[in-house]
Amino acid sequence: MPGELELSEETRERMAELRGLSEKAEAGDDEVRKELRRLVRASSPEIIGRASDIARRAKWMLIKTISAEDPLMEEALEARLALMREEIAGEDASPLEVLLTERVVSCWMLVELFDVLMAAQLWRGNEKPVSPSYLKHMIRWQESATRRYLAAIKVLVQVRKLLRPSVQLNYAEQQVNVAGDLKR
Amino acid sequence: MTLERRDRRLYYYRSVREGEKVRKVYVGAGEIARISHEGDILRRTEREAQRKREKAELERLETLAAPVLELSEAAEVLARAHLIAAGYHRHNGEYRRARRA
Repeated sequence: MPGELELSEETRERMAELRGLSEKAEAGDDEVRKELRRLVRASSPEIIGRASDIARRAKWMLIKTISAEDPLMEEALEARLALMREEIAGEDASPLEVLLTERVVSCWMLVELFDVLMAAQLWRGNEKPVSPSYLKHMIRWQESATRRYLAAIKVLVQVRKLLRPSVQLNYAEQQVNVAGDLKR
Repeated sequence: MTLERRDRRLYYYRSVREGEKVRKVYVGAGEIARISHEGDILRRTEREAQRKREKAELERLETLAAPVLELSEAAEVLARAHLIAAGYHRHNGEYRRARRA
């Protein structure tokens, strides 16, 4: 199923458009920002849908690998991921927040996978030691996965902080900004 | 590594790299030459098999990581577009409200 693990050509085109318009709008062009707003509204559902499909398949592949196809371990991982997703996304998460949560969870699994593999390689009882070049590759990937995981958390926090509706209250002649979930 | 036969006797030499040059080092003659030669072939075959195993394992890991990278890219592009469309811009990795001209 190689094609199902990649974004379609059409989605890639939308992403390239979004990237291009974001760069231009960031330079301060208000007209481009309006155009970006329109494109974000139009293409978000498609990109989120496709990326979520990939997230589901990636999760399935990673669970199978980490658990070494042990059904009990698979179930435990599934439950752990569901709990993580629930804790991170919380209630009333927007579709973008759900996607960013999926990204955090997938990146976490990748970090876990590299940690498990590295621990196995560095275990003293390992009868088949690997070559230094293999270890170097693994360390590089482990570092990159960790960086990506932390970046994923940062973006989710930024989106949650900046894009959730906020209200301004005037209380005892003091202005108070309340951001985030207004239901609480 | 070379196994040479001279005057009905076997002589075994190993090639040793020293910087840019390769030097031929005498290992032994007769039975020692034969045993050393076979041992070297075994070790070389083992190293080759390990290299292939590791290459296959790295390719498998790359296949596993690829969808996560795709997902990451899509999420990053979309989050940035949402933030900029909402009137923010990036400054040293942090988003700030863009000033109106």
